[in-house]
Amino acid sequence: MTTMTFDTTCFEKLHKSEAWMYTNVSPLANIEFAFDAPFLDDACISEYDIAPANPFVVLVNGKLHAEASRLVDGISINEGHELEGTISSRGDSVIPKLECDTVTIENTTEETIHILQLVTGKSAVAASGRVLIHANHGQMISVAETHVCTGDATHLFMPLTEIVAESSSNVTLVRAIRGSKSAYQLGQLHVSQDSSSNVQTHTITLAGRCSRHEVYAYLDGEHIESNFDGMYMLGKEQHVDNHLRVEHNEPNCDSREFYKGILDDNAKSVFTGRIYVKEGATQTDAKQTNQNIVLSDDANAISRPQLEIYNDDVACTHGATTGEIDEEAKLYLRSRGIPSDAAETLLMYAFLNESLEDLADDEFRKALTDELLMAMPGGDFIRTL
Amino acid sequence: MTTPLLEINNLHASVEGNEILRGVNLTVHEGEVHSVMGPNGSGKSTLACVLAGHEAYEVTEGEIYFMGQDLMELDADQRACAGVFLAFQYPVEIPGVSTKFFLKAAVNAMRKYRGEEELDAMDFLDLVEEKAASVSLNTDLLDRGVNEGFSGGEKKRAEIFQMAMLDPKLCVLDETDSGLDIDALKIVSEGVNKLRSEGRGFVVITHYQRLLDHIVPDYVHVLLDGKIVKSGGKELALQLEAEGYTAFEHCGTECCCG
Repeated sequence: MTTMTFDTTCFEKLHKSEAWMYTNVSPLANIEFAFDAPFLDDACISEYDIAPANPFVVLVNGKLHAEASRLVDGISINEGHELEGTISSRGDSVIPKLECDTVTIENTTEETIHILQLVTGKSAVAASGRVLIHANHGQMISVAETHVCTGDATHLFMPLTEIVAESSSNVTLVRAIRGSKSAYQLGQLHVSQDSSSNVQTHTITLAGRCSRHEVYAYLDGEHIESNFDGMYMLGKEQHVDNHLRVEHNEPNCDSREFYKGILDDNAKSVFTGRIYVKEGATQTDAKQTNQNIVLSDDANAISRPQLEIYNDDVACTHGATTGEIDEEAKLYLRSRGIPSDAAETLLMYAFLNESLEDLADDEFRKALTDELLMAMPGGDFIRTL
Repeated sequence: MTTPLLEINNLHASVEGNEILRGVNLTVHEGEVHSVMGPNGSGKSTLACVLAGHEAYEVTEGEIYFMGQDLMELDADQRACAGVFLAFQYPVEIPGVSTKFFLKAAVNAMRKYRGEEELDAMDFLDLVEEKAASVSLNTDLLDRGVNEGFSGGEKKRAEIFQMAMLDPKLCVLDETDSGLDIDALKIVSEGVNKLRSEGRGFVVITHYQRLLDHIVPDYVHVLLDGKIVKSGGKELALQLEAEGYTAFEHCGTECCCG
């Protein structure tokens, strides 16, 4: 086992900066991380192998697990090298990048490629994992990533995903954070899009003690469509920070940020969505929405939609709502014979399902719906329907 | 004498401290259709909400018995399972869950309450097809979010469809005619009339007489200022339509003939 060699002091005062003001990761500065702890548990790979007929890439602590993976043409693994010309350097993220394997996906297969990234070890492990999705002109790529930290140790996972969508290409990426509720996840997603491309991403947080998901998108051509969606259901002391910056650099592009979540106990969510419209990017249509249901007095939802516009002739809207379960809707369900607790569960399910319904991949949606229902009181009742 | 389906004695109810119902008496037997008519603010919808078990309405005095059972002892969902159905004036929209899904939850919750076996998927869908046809409801709508983006007429038809699905003993219709054009009114009324049966009772709450041309009641009650001031046969509705509610303002309980 190699012990840590990267400088964790960078986490110490991060929350004093504007971009991190609601997310305090300073406890990470006091943890001695292992890099390369041995892999412990084989059974959990099959647990998260939700589409056994599809291509499957498994990274454990940032390294390819070749035996568990099902690689196909178009998927390549680069061992431990920094890729040249990556788009991640365009953003101003301060999240460290550790040495790890890079999964490059560059093909036109219609089936969804599943990637499982596991972080595991008896003591706290720090790991990165990189995925590069490159869709050439007119290609269509669908990727589903599952990020899992196992056990109770305070692991730190810093995944980095990059999407390069060339003209008229179509990329769908769903990412689900599952597993341990003690781990930290600081992730980056960088997206660059050329004309008439369509990128849809969906980030679903069901686990983690503290997660921050940064999205940096560059709309570098015309007639681009981008959807950056997210969903979360958290309780106890869990924290999620969705931090987005979408740059409209050319005219006639549509982007949407749509995040919704349910918070219980002392859980906290932060949504910061920055839309930047460059001078000359006319006819920009950008929407930001953040909707929260809070189930306890101590849960906290912070919404910060931000607009930075250097142009007339744009339509940029934002909306944020935070509320409790709708009592009128609950009465409606109860008046049809559904007991109170099941009615609440059904309403929570309906609220999140509005977001889940958009997931194109059936297996992924099924696995996440199951996990959501397992976490809800009375969820069994809905699963039998 | 048989136990009435519904027996309301001296019912007083308030919402947020304001007394709305001030001593309502009403008895409905199996097979009967009673219409409660009244102007805006007379307490019609309050009566419907109290029967359904809306927690915002507080019963301060009086009693309600449903098939001999004290209705006040039952929560909203237990009342529904026992056989009370309220067709809402303004049905709630619930995006994210389809009407089919929601109704399956409702049907099975009721069957469980009654100690019956849950319906399997095939039997449930057969029932949906049959009952949707009875109110000319396009079953495509049932795959959408509950009432989501439904027109006024579709919402009301969906309420009657739900009523048919859940097979209640007592149906309370709260201004089911509001927002309906003549054609939709006919369809909804026909749906209701198909459900009329010897074992089932109706309380049809309405503002206008026109609904009662289609759903012909056995009894009509005039609700004014939280009290039933006059009761009579279906001809009372015509009198109301001709003379307006003001003609009944000085009616005391002594002229009630119900």
